[in-house]
Amino acid sequence: MGALLSVRSLHRHYVRGEHTVRALDGVDLDVAPGSFVALVGASGSGKSTLLNLLGGLDRPTAGDVLLEGRSLASYSRRELATYRATRVGMIFQSFHLIPHYTAIENVELGLYFGPVREPGERRSRSTELLERLGLGERLHHRPADLSGGEQQRVAIARALAGNPDVLLADEPTGNLDAENAALIAGLLREQREEGRAVVMTTHNLDLAHDAAERVVRLAYGKIAGEST
Amino acid sequence: MTLRDMVHVSAGNLRRLKLRTFLTVSGVVIAIGAFTTMLSLGAGNQKMIREQYEQLGLFSTVLAYPSTGDADSARALDDDAIREFAGLPGVRAAYPYDDFDVSVSYGDSTVAVRAQAIPPGANDAPLFTRLVAGTTITPDDSTGTLVLAEFLPDLGFASPEAAVGEAIVVSVRAASADSGFAYLVPDPTELRQRLEGIPPDSLGNRVFLSRFVRRELRDGTRRFFDGYLHAQRVVSDSLVIRGVLRGGDRRSNLREVVIPRRTARRFHEAGPGGEPRDLVPALMNGDLFGAEEGGDARSYAQATLLLDTYTSHVAIVDSLEARGFRAFSYAAQFDEVRRGMLFFNLALAGVGLVALATAALGIANTLTMSVTERRREIGILKALGAEDADIRLLFLVESALIGLLGSAAGVLLGWIVARIGSAIAQELMRRQSVPPFDLFSTPPWLVATSIAFGTLIAVLSGTLPAARAARVDPVRALRSD
Repeated sequence: MGALLSVRSLHRHYVRGEHTVRALDGVDLDVAPGSFVALVGASGSGKSTLLNLLGGLDRPTAGDVLLEGRSLASYSRRELATYRATRVGMIFQSFHLIPHYTAIENVELGLYFGPVREPGERRSRSTELLERLGLGERLHHRPADLSGGEQQRVAIARALAGNPDVLLADEPTGNLDAENAALIAGLLREQREEGRAVVMTTHNLDLAHDAAERVVRLAYGKIAGEST
Repeated sequence: MTLRDMVHVSAGNLRRLKLRTFLTVSGVVIAIGAFTTMLSLGAGNQKMIREQYEQLGLFSTVLAYPSTGDADSARALDDDAIREFAGLPGVRAAYPYDDFDVSVSYGDSTVAVRAQAIPPGANDAPLFTRLVAGTTITPDDSTGTLVLAEFLPDLGFASPEAAVGEAIVVSVRAASADSGFAYLVPDPTELRQRLEGIPPDSLGNRVFLSRFVRRELRDGTRRFFDGYLHAQRVVSDSLVIRGVLRGGDRRSNLREVVIPRRTARRFHEAGPGGEPRDLVPALMNGDLFGAEEGGDARSYAQATLLLDTYTSHVAIVDSLEARGFRAFSYAAQFDEVRRGMLFFNLALAGVGLVALATAALGIANTLTMSVTERRREIGILKALGAEDADIRLLFLVESALIGLLGSAAGVLLGWIVARIGSAIAQELMRRQSVPPFDLFSTPPWLVATSIAFGTLIAVLSGTLPAARAARVDPVRALRSD
């Protein structure tokens, strides 16, 4: 099966004063549809940078990110925005929910930039997602009134709202206790079973091996090893 | 993201930050309030002038004057010329401005005023139909008259209604050629003394004789005009007040007493007016020894042309000038006034603009703070698929909402201030015995302009913060915590 997402000789360098930080320094990776790839490595190894590049939030210094064989570098700004809205869903360690929105409003936000324009449809779809993730009773709660695990489930619901092909999860269990971390990992596995590709960064090797079928280790911006 | 979504999101943000929104919107309210009040003052003045012009029918009135140009092309403004004016296409009526000194008596009161004659055809002109009481005079009314409301107290009438139907005596003092000739002949005793004083041998001296004749002619002329102007006769007529006219406007140029022209003719036939200034026209008209009975060979200083509704005043002015007359159009004058009012309004709007500039800085400051505070939110929106343009538009919609809210409330505030100002001004006018009028006017175009302008300024104020928001790097924004 061909790769859904590929990276080729990917470099991302930052200039910090007189120094150049090589956050990614020639990474090659393929993500197949319906696969679960865990990126592991120490802090600063380039995991999050790679995820941001895969998510179209950042542009590489050199190399390519390809979606179904087409380089994201060839995308216009609008195409890249559409890519973020409909092809990938992003989940963050600190949830990144908007604090003054309720759970359902946060999920609806994931639909504002996609093809669902009708507010009623957005509402029903968000409700359905939150109910599926066990938050049917929490629809109108604000993030401050939710536990960490619940907040992350709202974030997953938001990431799923646009029905993406790929879920990009940056340390999704980093702020959670073991019980909630297992719950979130289980939800991500479910997504893979539903046919979505999942790329997750984590410090937790056990979680990575439990959840993912491929574990890619990054060190100093390079792929240092891979296990299945 | 649709515009409806943006309005929803922006309104939510404004609701969330109630105090900040209230303070920012308050700045716009005060600015637009000042802007609206100032322009209401300008609009009120313009409306008042327009209404005066409309009530007096001045938009369809053109005045003609004799030309002051070279003698070849200049024409006398006489009855022939006025008949020619009346025949011009689009001219409904033409009549001379014919006024003269009269004294009016009623009961024990006698007042010296000016009377104005109106010919048949002009009696239904707006100027002569703005009645406070009674009716206007008909063309064949030879005993009726109209008087100005302001003049009634001088005659002792308590109200306009009380004056209608009352008879007043209108008198003119007419210069008399007979008295002029009577004065021409010097006193016989004085004449005899002067003749006796002539040395007989001087009668043969040509120089002496020439000087004697010149002196006698000079004295004779002086005596003639002395008699002509001072030994006047009084012609009186009893006229019934048919109606009381509303005056109070110098543009109308209405005299205290308005009488039909055929009545005025009776006075004119008695001879030129008793004032020295009437002498020159009388000499020019050949009326020094009394006007021709039944005819009217006088020339006038001014004629009024009443135009049909859709007649171009420019065309009539051109036509009059081509005939050797000077012309004045009230419609053209109003255009000049309106142009002048434009500068007046701009000066007034300037006051509001200063306040609006301050409010604009407030909006820019609020939005800039908002961008800084919402960097992470912007990053989230970008991660969810927002384009830079979406973010920019989101902040512009937010500033537009501030402008719209502030402008709408500001227009309301401006209207309230204008109403209060108008009420105070009208009370002061009443105390000064000036007919009160609405000093302020807030027409729909001003409401729409103020709201649109306030919103536009707010959007412009939000441009820079919105551009800054659009430039937020999502990677940095999401890493910031």
